[in-house]
Amino acid sequence: MKGIKLTSTILLSKIIIKGLRMIKRGGTSLPGKIANKLCPGILKDIASNFYIIMVTGTNGKTTTSRIIEQILKETGTSYIANRSGANLLSGITTTFLQSVNLHGRSSVSTALIEIDEAAFKAVTVFLEPDILVVTNFFRDQLDRYGELYSTLKDVAAGISKTRKTRLILNADDSLCVSLARDSQKSVIYYGFAPEAYLDAKASENADASYCLYCQTKYTYTNKVYGHLGGFACPGCGYRKPDCHVVCTQVEAITGSHSVIRFTVDDGLLPSCDGRNAYTAKINLPGLYNIYNSLAAISCGVSLGISMDKILYALASFENGFGRMETIKARDRELKVILVKNPAGFNQVLDYLVTDEQTMRLAFAINDNLADGTDVSWLWDVNFEKLSAAAERIDGLFVSGIRAEDMALRLKYAGLDTKKIELIKDYGALIEKGLSSMKEGETFYLLPTYTALLDMRKFLKKKFNLKEFWQ
Amino acid sequence: MYELTLCHLYPDLLNLYGDRGNIIALRRRAQWRGIRMHVVPVTLGDAFQAQNYNIVFLGGGQSYEQEIIQKDLISQKGNEIKEAIEAGRVFICICGGYQLMGKFYRTAEGRDVQFLDALNLWTVEGEDRMIGNLLFECDFLKDGGGDHRIIGFENHAGRTYLGKGITPLGKVIAGFGNNGEDGFEGARYKNVFCSYSHGSLLPKNPRLTDYLLLTALQEKYKDIETLSPLDDCLENKAHDTMIKRVSG
Repeated sequence: MKGIKLTSTILLSKIIIKGLRMIKRGGTSLPGKIANKLCPGILKDIASNFYIIMVTGTNGKTTTSRIIEQILKETGTSYIANRSGANLLSGITTTFLQSVNLHGRSSVSTALIEIDEAAFKAVTVFLEPDILVVTNFFRDQLDRYGELYSTLKDVAAGISKTRKTRLILNADDSLCVSLARDSQKSVIYYGFAPEAYLDAKASENADASYCLYCQTKYTYTNKVYGHLGGFACPGCGYRKPDCHVVCTQVEAITGSHSVIRFTVDDGLLPSCDGRNAYTAKINLPGLYNIYNSLAAISCGVSLGISMDKILYALASFENGFGRMETIKARDRELKVILVKNPAGFNQVLDYLVTDEQTMRLAFAINDNLADGTDVSWLWDVNFEKLSAAAERIDGLFVSGIRAEDMALRLKYAGLDTKKIELIKDYGALIEKGLSSMKEGETFYLLPTYTALLDMRKFLKKKFNLKEFWQ
Repeated sequence: MYELTLCHLYPDLLNLYGDRGNIIALRRRAQWRGIRMHVVPVTLGDAFQAQNYNIVFLGGGQSYEQEIIQKDLISQKGNEIKEAIEAGRVFICICGGYQLMGKFYRTAEGRDVQFLDALNLWTVEGEDRMIGNLLFECDFLKDGGGDHRIIGFENHAGRTYLGKGITPLGKVIAGFGNNGEDGFEGARYKNVFCSYSHGSLLPKNPRLTDYLLLTALQEKYKDIETLSPLDDCLENKAHDTMIKRVSG
């Protein structure tokens, strides 16, 4: 009986997926939603034969997943993977449904799953990851996720339900590290050595200044950004653990890439080739992408993948779907960077300030459910930083449902209000932004999630981009 | 040159939902008029000397952070804060900071957590969070015509009730306000202004911001009667756009 129900549910879901594609809808969530209704627990049945790599955390899940994907590609492993817009139970179910045959079996054995941190606990009822990467915890849309500490507790509760899961954790994040302290799992830690990056700008530690266990203020041997760094609690001794994968030196950090030196704990390397120190070119700008890369390196070595392949993947990685996605428009460049919370946005601004070229900026702020309905967080972003680069900003656009709020934020950040232009229509915005640009200039689009989805429709038409579910 | 000093209480703990936007707004609007504003952070273990400050700002925090400061607030700073309030000092308290000024917070389990007891009001934890845009009107902003409506965003599980001697800050037009029952939002006692509204509250509501600035200035300087007008084109646009949306 169960077999028939399973088969008919899979069949129906596959028809729906096909139908949605034909009418040019992504169809990433709906089939999974229906399948879960018709056949509760279906995910458990269809995912049980997979080796599952899961990535969660507030920021960097998508990029980290994509780098891991690139590493898997280098090794020729066949895998299935979901996309960021499909990182809740229904989307994840759809991803597995697409891969299995009518008996619920698949010819592919590896699944790379990005999962929303708020959905993690619920999904672990059906899926047990073999590897779980947790990138970091920062405050995020609080109207949707609730308080940061409840998200953290939920992820910990999800982990406690698993048996075989191996954790890969950011050792510089006191919130992340607590996940291992509160469980007895095997852990790989990654982080920055204290001397690796000495140019850290003073940034606000708004999320975790005080010890999670005894409420004493942490001291830091080094800070990278936000609350990330070499934390230690003078009260109870809770501190950053020793790392297995360590960035020992940030050699270069430019507008397009970074070069780092890093070491890997001997015990993690499959066959000792006589060295454990490496140099990597990371084909992504921004300090936060060094963390994402360290997470992906940790995942790669724990899968037993050779370092050559990992390094090649890092150097050749190309980003997509709003994560520093680059679109060439004749001799001009347009870059799309998703913004969703203060920590991520501040990192993007740091990156923009390091770019020495002239630039145009467009902020598209929406307040739909998926963006967070409260835009107060814009006031937690340090737009004041932009005044340092004001002479290189040759156009400043605001758009989206909350364009007016964004304009106001820029005014109070001290930017010239005469430069701020409000254009609600994305088509017009992109046209205007690309018009009469100087050579070598970059037009940055910084949308929130639903603004990105809408904006991409225009970009797709204009530049022939891939559908985002491909 | 006029000068004001703003004390930001527990900036490393009470800093939710863009609370610092309120400080940015006060500081800029003072600066644009040639008034210097110093911002002094005061946190756990620091002494709070009321006579040093003209405005005291207390923002919202997550439950975890509010727990950390509770003892320090009551035993280290409580008396000074109460005296400053009676002396007419300007206080701006948002969300969690608002609740902390009251007598107690009754948790869902029925346990009473003692708060500062500087104002005769109290908060009872409710089942559902009250989340969404909040529109209310303030009578004290009616003078001289103009818009006396305030737009913000609320997100709280606590229901706050006002006791004798405390007046609400405003009347709710859309949203929940203090408790979702009596139609009022926020609290006012002497020059203490409390609200559940984030947004941030002050940037989009320049009339309220200026009212607070002027009140603080008049506390310190006897010769100041009005503030010079500013170009509030962007402020009003953000204010009006949201009000239009919220009131449908």
